Amino acid sequence: MSEFKIGQREVENVNILELKGYLDAHTAPKLEEAFQNLLKSQRFRIVVNCRDLSYISSAGLGVFMAFIEDVRNGKGDIKLTNMSPKVYNVFDLLGFPLLYEIFKDEQEAVTRFFDRAK
Amino acid sequence: MKLRRVVLLGGAFLLVIFKFALDVVEKNVELGLMGLGLIRELLIIGSLGLLYVVIDVLASRRESTPVRKLGFVLIAMCAMILATLGLSASGVGGFDAKNQALVPLDYPSIFLASLVAIAFGIFSIIVFRLLRDLILINRKPAARRNWLIFSALLLGTSVSCLTTRPLDSSIATSILFALAILFAVMNSFRLPWIVYLTKREKLFSLACGFFLFGGFTALAVQIGSGTLLRKSLLYYSHPLHQFIQLVTIFGALYAGMAFVSTLFHLPTAEAFDRKRSEVSSLHTLSKLVTQVFDFNELVDNVTSMTLQVVGASSCWLEIITGAGEEDAPAAGEDASYGVQVAAMKNITQEEIDILVSPERRGIRDSVVKDRKAIVVDDIERDPRFVQLKKHRGMAGSLVVVPLVSHTGLAGILYAAKKESFGFVRDDVDAISAFADQATVAIENSRLIRESLEKERLYREMLVAQEMQKRLLPQHVPVAPTIDLDAISTPAFEVGGDYYDFMELGDGRIGIVVGDVSGKGVSAAFYMSEMKGIFQALGRICSSPKEFMVRANEALAGSIDKHSFVSLIYAILDPVSGRLTVARAGHCPMLHVSGENVAYVRPNGLGMGLSRGPTFDDAIQEEVIPLGEGDVCVLYTDGVTEARCGDDEFGYERLMAAARSARGKNAAGIKEEILATVSRFTEHRANDDDLTLVVLKWNGPDRRG
Repeated sequence: MSEFKIGQREVENVNILELKGYLDAHTAPKLEEAFQNLLKSQRFRIVVNCRDLSYISSAGLGVFMAFIEDVRNGKGDIKLTNMSPKVYNVFDLLGFPLLYEIFKDEQEAVTRFFDRAK
Repeated sequence: MKLRRVVLLGGAFLLVIFKFALDVVEKNVELGLMGLGLIRELLIIGSLGLLYVVIDVLASRRESTPVRKLGFVLIAMCAMILATLGLSASGVGGFDAKNQALVPLDYPSIFLASLVAIAFGIFSIIVFRLLRDLILINRKPAARRNWLIFSALLLGTSVSCLTTRPLDSSIATSILFALAILFAVMNSFRLPWIVYLTKREKLFSLACGFFLFGGFTALAVQIGSGTLLRKSLLYYSHPLHQFIQLVTIFGALYAGMAFVSTLFHLPTAEAFDRKRSEVSSLHTLSKLVTQVFDFNELVDNVTSMTLQVVGASSCWLEIITGAGEEDAPAAGEDASYGVQVAAMKNITQEEIDILVSPERRGIRDSVVKDRKAIVVDDIERDPRFVQLKKHRGMAGSLVVVPLVSHTGLAGILYAAKKESFGFVRDDVDAISAFADQATVAIENSRLIRESLEKERLYREMLVAQEMQKRLLPQHVPVAPTIDLDAISTPAFEVGGDYYDFMELGDGRIGIVVGDVSGKGVSAAFYMSEMKGIFQALGRICSSPKEFMVRANEALAGSIDKHSFVSLIYAILDPVSGRLTVARAGHCPMLHVSGENVAYVRPNGLGMGLSRGPTFDDAIQEEVIPLGEGDVCVLYTDGVTEARCGDDEFGYERLMAAARSARGKNAAGIKEEILATVSRFTEHRANDDDLTLVVLKWNGPDRRG
């Protein structure tokens, strides 16, 4: 049940994290580690693709909160994309759309980084 | 028992007296009756039979070692030799051979012959009985069979000369005699007891065997050749003479074999002793491990037994502690580790530090890394011990054995000897065996410590659970127009769900339901903080939004950045039925109004996610005018996210359950929703904290 995987790739200097499976208190440390690694190598432009994320718990949401400050201080951002309606509802209930940019599509999020830069 | 023995002995004595009387009479009157001789023999057989029963009872009652039995036979034999010497020195007339029979020349001869014959009879019975014990020490079928055959031949030979005259002999007797000797030889190879003797006992048995062999041979010669002893015995009873003769010969054979066999066992005696003490020490240790939970006592035993069994000059045991962590270093890991001497024998901490110096951990490092026993035959020539140049004579050889448990390396056992090349392979095996026992002991004590700690934590958690229950309202507010009920069950001992009520000064009633991110203890702490904030701010904030804003400020100072609290706060005016709701990221409130069921979801943001205007602007209020019989359900995600496999209970099922139960009172609706959730999860325990608050508005107060 708590199967959770993270895929990582880079598109135009933007780091894409692909989440897959259940993100809860047990699997949250994996995502934490992934963020920590990105921050350690000064990579602050992060897009989290939630296409295959089937469940997220409050502990999972907490991970995003833990890093957003450092990322934004590094002139970057965490943007979220491709959420299923169910997952979006969890983000939305908590009011996350007020704090994070959430996109339907990954490419949209990537280009958004460069809109800002201009 | 005692009475029986007295009767038996008395009977034997009477029979002997009878026989003696007959002998005396026969000397004076030539009766020449054939029957009389037979009666005399039967008296003897009867008498000795009774004596055998007494001796058998005495012998089987006393548990005695083989060596003691040999010693006893030796003493008895000395007595017999003295008796023989006494007889020949007595100067009695003796016997005349006449017509293949013996005729006593005077009365003292009859008397002494009787005494000596009875003494030798008893002696033979004792020897026969004790040798039987030795031969049948382990009752193998073949041993039993051979012994029985020998016994039968012995008796057969004796009985066969019942009717022959003393100096006569029959062919049957001779054949039986030869067979008896054959089986005596076969039985004398049965020496199973020698193997188990200690070295000292073996030396004693060697001496016993030697003297017994000499003594028995001498007696056998005396009994067999034409001496006064032979004549006396023959005169007294031909079968008895035969019996005594055979037992003596058998005694000589057995003693001789025992001597030779012991001689061959002597070289291995020391090794055998050592093995035996090793086995018994291990046995004692394994018993200790299961019975004694005092760790120090156990390792103390391990070291002292190692010292004793392998004859080491010093021995000590070190416990490995991870680098600041509980777990021991894994195999091959180049981790730093700590050592702590748990027990030492004949050595001090200073000497240990010199031998295996703490800085240059040469030998210790290799053992930790390879997990294999190391034998250092000559310390002074070993490069790992260069530091010892200054301390010559401390130790010549050293064995180092790791204590490997299934969780890792638990410790190291060392044994040292003063001389170089002091340890043989057997020693290393023995030390390894002791190390294994020590590992079990260390593991056991660790498990016990852990389970005690677990027990303590469990009790602490029960206290926390009890305390948290008291943080939740003990009563629901009562007002004529409303009906309220609530329940909260944590997934673990404590949880992060929170609900509370407050009667505000103006008659309005506040209802709050919250959920702290995460579960367990950390959530429980924030939950109790929420309780404090609500109790402090609830009464002074006139609107839900105002409360949310100020509560967020209060919480922001203490909450860590990846935790947050979702909250829903509703204030009911029980007179008008107006319900004002604000939501800080919490699950929407379910509103049931007749057939219409809807979620009330004003905009908002979770508490602790942001502070200042972002949060304040996000929070909105929604006002719902309740109708008569309207039901509001506030809950945490433990309800909607209750799972059955991959499926969640969800919002739709909650709506349906509330709609169907809306006719009941608040408690009934609560029960029905809980029952529906429980049916959905197939009655599994909830894996998330679950809270449910049901409010029913009964319409305006019509009493006035």
